[in-house]
Amino acid sequence: MKIRDDLHVLTGSYALDAVPWPEREEFERHLRHCPACEAEVRGMRETAARLATVAVMAPPRRMEQRVLAATYRTRQLPPLARGRQSRRYSGAATARTAAGWLSRDSRHRVRQLVMAAAAVIVAAAIGLGINQAVTQHQLRSSREAGTAITHVITAPDARSHTAGTKAGGAVTVVVSFRQRAAVVATTRIGPLPAGRVYQVWVMTPSGARSAGLFSHAGRNGPLLASGVTPGDKIGITVEPAGGTPRPTTTPIVIVPLPV
Amino acid sequence: MCRAAIRMRLCLEWQDMNTPSRHQWRPRLVPAEEPEPDLAGLLAQVARGDHRAFELVYRQLAGPVYGVIRNVLRDPAQSEEVAQEVLLEVWRAASRFDPDRGSAAAWALTIAHRRAVDRVRAEDACGRRERKAAPGMTPECADAAAAVEASLDRERVRRCLDSLTGLQRESIKLAYCRGYSYPQVAQLLGVALGTVKTRIRDGLIRMRDCLEVDW
Repeated sequence: MKIRDDLHVLTGSYALDAVPWPEREEFERHLRHCPACEAEVRGMRETAARLATVAVMAPPRRMEQRVLAATYRTRQLPPLARGRQSRRYSGAATARTAAGWLSRDSRHRVRQLVMAAAAVIVAAAIGLGINQAVTQHQLRSSREAGTAITHVITAPDARSHTAGTKAGGAVTVVVSFRQRAAVVATTRIGPLPAGRVYQVWVMTPSGARSAGLFSHAGRNGPLLASGVTPGDKIGITVEPAGGTPRPTTTPIVIVPLPV
Repeated sequence: MCRAAIRMRLCLEWQDMNTPSRHQWRPRLVPAEEPEPDLAGLLAQVARGDHRAFELVYRQLAGPVYGVIRNVLRDPAQSEEVAQEVLLEVWRAASRFDPDRGSAAAWALTIAHRRAVDRVRAEDACGRRERKAAPGMTPECADAAAAVEASLDRERVRRCLDSLTGLQRESIKLAYCRGYSYPQVAQLLGVALGTVKTRIRDGLIRMRDCLEVDW
């Protein structure tokens, strides 16, 4: 136990490449069996990358031409089969854990989505409780949306993808083709001028159809886009309040769904 | 002259950030500029052999990659050589980048930092390099006020660094910016090994939370 605690303290030093051989090797072995350490290392690597923003230096101009030219004579590595992503390039030993499809990180996001979904359902229930005018039908459909979202994000074939948007922040899409649906959520997305909303689209070869609106900056969702099929894309555009039948601006982000 | 003005504005915005509307700071900071294309998306294109996408990746990554390497290696010629290797590696290994496991920038900078450190360690092992740093010396990596234009991101990193204890800050700077191993950091700062390990970890956790790093 003492040894493990001792090793765990090394997460920080390891993330900064400050663990010398052969201890580094020993720690990497430990990482393979310690998902908590692995997650911590990942967070610290992100943090170190932010430190690098204060270290930015302009490289010599000639470097660009040299590197670009070299790409024309350098063969690229093929992708690794799913489930055996390179440890070297994830920066840490990150054996995919038993649960399969989703990486730890995705599951973390999925957990956030589930919590957000729960919050939406609770909020809807409270709203409905206060407003006696709503019909039983509305109550049921809101509850059904919540259930559908939960079904998608807990589906065994659920896959998650996160992409940055041109408006800042990121969008996370969890898709289950078995459920024929995707769940879309945003974090830290930029604010909009008055009278504008973010509109989510399912983009198919035959055109785009609206999946709903996000009306504010920051965290949004989850929103359910149903009827998605492999190869579709999820896009978000800025549109006039109330939304439009067709996208009228360039998407701030497009997330291709797996084929 | 405008540096002070910018700094003042940054301070004001920093205060805003502590209010519930903190998500609104980013767009105000980068006003009418063309938004940078998303690195993760570009890397996916690069993985399919798209040279134009790689040019855009190069433009975003070359500065931080070179900066990190230069801070560790110091020698400009050697830094240039390693930076070229790393950026070419980004081209070569783009298909191995997995967005589920962290940001594209962190992926590339992890490769860059490790390459630089490996180079230093190899030379240390051969006794070819005489590297001395006085404890308490401040590596410019973590407070490069002079070299760079004002950016809220940098300002924020600096402020978060300031929130650390002295020992946490020095340990992190010596390890990350200078590429020292934790036993070397312990020696330079004259503290026990265990102390350095915990200070680096605690400091990074505090930085991570202060910067609200998504992980």
